[in-house]
Amino acid sequence: MDGIEFRRVVKHFDSGVEALRDVSVTIAAGTMTFLSGHSGAGKSTFLRLVLGLETATRGQVLVNGCDIGRLAPRHLPRYRQHLGVVLQDHRLLAHRSVFDNVALPLRVAGMKERDAGRRVRAALSSVELLDKERLLPRHLSAGERQRVGIARAVVNRPKVLLADEPTGNLDPALSRSVMGLFRQFHDIGTTVIVASHDAQLLATMGVRIVELAKGRVVGDTAAAVDTAAEA
Amino acid sequence: MAVKPKPSDVWPSDRRPRRAFGRDHVRVARESFTFISQRLGATLLVWVLIGIALALPTALYLTERNLAAVAGEWQENLGFSIYFQPGVAAEAPAALARRLRREPDVDRARLITPEQALLEFRRHAAISDALDLLDDNPLPATIRVAVAADVPAARLTLLADHARRSEGVDEVAVERAWLERLATIREVVDRIYQVAAVLLGIGAVLVSSASVRLAIEARLDELQVLALVGASKRFMRRPFLYLGVIYGVCGALVAAMLVSMALIWLEAPLTRLFGSYGRGLELVRFDPTMFLALLASGTLLGWLGARIASDQRLRELAV
Repeated sequence: MDGIEFRRVVKHFDSGVEALRDVSVTIAAGTMTFLSGHSGAGKSTFLRLVLGLETATRGQVLVNGCDIGRLAPRHLPRYRQHLGVVLQDHRLLAHRSVFDNVALPLRVAGMKERDAGRRVRAALSSVELLDKERLLPRHLSAGERQRVGIARAVVNRPKVLLADEPTGNLDPALSRSVMGLFRQFHDIGTTVIVASHDAQLLATMGVRIVELAKGRVVGDTAAAVDTAAEA
Repeated sequence: MAVKPKPSDVWPSDRRPRRAFGRDHVRVARESFTFISQRLGATLLVWVLIGIALALPTALYLTERNLAAVAGEWQENLGFSIYFQPGVAAEAPAALARRLRREPDVDRARLITPEQALLEFRRHAAISDALDLLDDNPLPATIRVAVAADVPAARLTLLADHARRSEGVDEVAVERAWLERLATIREVVDRIYQVAAVLLGIGAVLVSSASVRLAIEARLDELQVLALVGASKRFMRRPFLYLGVIYGVCGALVAAMLVSMALIWLEAPLTRLFGSYGRGLELVRFDPTMFLALLASGTLLGWLGARIASDQRLRELAV
């Protein structure tokens, strides 16, 4: 199937921490899903497994039907080029302009400078930061920096957009604005997975929420909807 | 065993643009020169360190080449000198000179009579006035015998022994001993050169490696982001390999400059030294092949240092 599927995934770390325990979740392509749960619930590990930054101790992580755990390490970078990542701490490069930060995935993908320039401006336009392309990240507010991070994540038109606590440092109004951006990308067919512990914010979004606690799936609104429909 | 999947199995549209490789090299080269121009002080220090490490073996190599040239020149004048007893009749040296000229291995046999020797001595020696105080000419007749360069040592010794047994001969001095000493010196210099080349080559690799490691640490945040957005190890390593190559090439240029300056500085006293032996001096300098070999060595050592540092650091990179 197209999309992301976790089949009885277990992830143990060498430190002894059991981050995921027998997790089975299916996320269809083009859908928007929230992962909720407290700190340490396994949300970040879930995203890192999709990114191929970790491999499952047991079980399978399938993306478009392919087991990511079986991709050779040398193939992982190419695989990752089709994913967009937004992190809580933005990970913007302090000494590079907004334009250069956003252009980074396109340079990795080997795109021509002229085409890359067009794509970067389109991405910056979508997050309403076109007028700030020459600034350094330190000249931006926290909300603007997060939007630059989102522009960088979507500039390469990823098939899947992953966000780990993207609103962690933002006030409620900015958080809603950032979530609105994710919804826009979902609307154009991107699979969006957002990990957040902000239950209040997630409840207002009206999309599927997979709840994790101590590495297990303890709630899934999609399953609840299905059960209700069957009843 | 099942075939492992590829990125194109996950994303069927996966294609890398044509010419992306070349474009990336151009961009990395541009960024490397910018990086270096922003840290010129520290970079100059690296160039000088690598330059010194390359200069010493290069200087030793040139020394060996110059010794080889000197030995070759002296080899051309290989032979022996026959000194007669003072007061010996003029006919004995002349007869021996004639006999030697008939030998097939002898190129020249030049007879210097006591009178000719005295004249020459007066021309060169500072104490020529003192000679006027002597009643008799104290200088003996001499024959300077030059043999062909390919004459074996045994044949040369045999010729010298025959001459030694001739009438009126006091002493025969064979120049081969000098050449043998020179050959030993050449061998010692050659071995020192080889040891220095290995040790200082390792030194140059370490300097390049440490400098590139610092550059990697300065750009660690960038590498972490690059790994997240799908950069391959090769892509991440490339700027640092360029940096290592630039360090190596510029280090080699510094080495060439240092050695050339040393040659210029040494040329005058060496010319005087050789002049005192009645010989001219033409120093062996950098030829294009030697210069290119030095540049290639610098490039290789700089690249190797960068490769070691980047491989090691990228292996440990946590994303």
